[in-house]
Amino acid sequence: MNLSHLQYRDTISKSIVWLLAIPALLVPTIILGYIFWKAAPVLDWNFISGAAEGIGFGVTEGIFAQLLGSLLLAVMACVMAAPFALGTALYYCIYASSRQQRLLIAMFNMLQGIPPIVFGLCGLVVLVNLFSWGVSLLSGAVVLAMVLLPLLVLNTLAALERIPLKYTEAGRALGLDSSDIIWRLWLPRSWLNLLTGLLLAMARALSETAPIMFTATVFSGVVWPDSLFSPVTTLQTHIFYLAQEGNDSQVISIAWGSAAVLVLLVAVFGLLARVLKKLEAD
Amino acid sequence: MTIVLVVGFLLQSSWPLLQQQGIAFVAGTEWYPFESLYGMLPALIGTLWAVALALLIALPCGVAAAILSAELLSPRLRSTVRFGMELLAGIPSVVYGLLGIWLLIPLLESQFELLTGRTLLAAGLLLALMILPTIMVFSEDAISAVKQSQREAAKNLGIGWDATLWRVLLPQAWPGIRIATLLSMGRAMGETVAVMLVVGSIDRIPEPFYNLLQPAQTLTSRIGREMAEASVGSLHWAALLFCGLILAILAMAISLLTHRQRLVV
Repeated sequence: MNLSHLQYRDTISKSIVWLLAIPALLVPTIILGYIFWKAAPVLDWNFISGAAEGIGFGVTEGIFAQLLGSLLLAVMACVMAAPFALGTALYYCIYASSRQQRLLIAMFNMLQGIPPIVFGLCGLVVLVNLFSWGVSLLSGAVVLAMVLLPLLVLNTLAALERIPLKYTEAGRALGLDSSDIIWRLWLPRSWLNLLTGLLLAMARALSETAPIMFTATVFSGVVWPDSLFSPVTTLQTHIFYLAQEGNDSQVISIAWGSAAVLVLLVAVFGLLARVLKKLEAD
Repeated sequence: MTIVLVVGFLLQSSWPLLQQQGIAFVAGTEWYPFESLYGMLPALIGTLWAVALALLIALPCGVAAAILSAELLSPRLRSTVRFGMELLAGIPSVVYGLLGIWLLIPLLESQFELLTGRTLLAAGLLLALMILPTIMVFSEDAISAVKQSQREAAKNLGIGWDATLWRVLLPQAWPGIRIATLLSMGRAMGETVAVMLVVGSIDRIPEPFYNLLQPAQTLTSRIGREMAEASVGSLHWAALLFCGLILAILAMAISLLTHRQRLVV
């Protein structure tokens, strides 16, 4: 009687878990499928290469310019943030006292928690208006770099911490100075992990919309920006504007197509990072 | 340094408003930029509701999915589920916004026979969907980090799966689940694009307060909607920057909570 009572309870709680978990697993999957199902009619090579005909009001069917703008912004942001992140992480490992270390970690955790739109606002106030860089590639890239910085720093730290301590101690015992340890020991041992962090940062940069909305993008009319100070178009904001174009079903299908391309792009960077991680583990 | 800079710039830029109206406008219920009324209460309540709703839905489902995948599924299936979740966590928020407008809102409109589906409920549901993968991945980490010997000990004591779950697994995984909750709370609060597409952006406190089927406003959606309209240096501009300041302060408070927890663990 006691045993069957126990089994009875087990069955109940197991079924409650299943009941709650099934929607959590199914709904997102269905939604992913829905995006691609909606995007399927417009997805072809012409759509991506931008060769398809325009359909008026600045809406071209191809998304080449947007794709280019997104990638350009993300790459620039990563290139800007990476040296700072590496520098901060090295400072943390070599020079910082344990009090400073705690402070740094707390600070970057805090920075990571600040909503991206707040960085966007700061960029708008300081870069766009105060420095009068205008709505431009440079402003957007700097704001995006700020969003990426905590992520990159924490990733770099994790990568450096994975190097066994005895290597560093052996290096020190051999009389290597800090720069030798960094160049001959840490970087060769951890570059795969650092690259993984960079790829994750790229994926993050490609999926952010709020920080670049006011600082870097216009709706249309740009394919390749003339200079650092001209605005770009991006996939993210393209989807955002098209989504609000109420009643034209063709426009909406372009939005779905762009969304599918963006999801794929982010997934590719995520997958690359995963492959590298596996490679490192082996 | 950067934090001081960020907060400093926001404070300095929103200073004209504070100087003119004191701090009392935060509790005001009316937001009419053209009449210099900048009550923050509707957007604050909207943000609170949206985040609470999202957590209420996503937390039980996410943790249940984590238990399922950590305890009940075969290792192979488990890594598939995990991979899928990590993939889903990477979907850009603007894509969720698109889904919200063209899938969720028509659905809500037909279900509840609403004039407009742009409601707090829509925002809450969408946010729940967005934070679900985060909650699941973190909770799964926490649950599978519980030592195998503990599970075996529980089995040997004959206390059954149900009691093992409640008395052994969940208490030990709780710090991790707590961190997941706080992180996703911060994310839900700061989410802009998806929310502003579905929340309706009307400054109104839900009436009565549990009515989620009305259009509302959150701090982020207000910034997103009105930033382009406000002229540089005006009071309106200052008020919007003050919204940003509130967001930053709330986010820092949340991450402080997370951090303290991390030190203890």
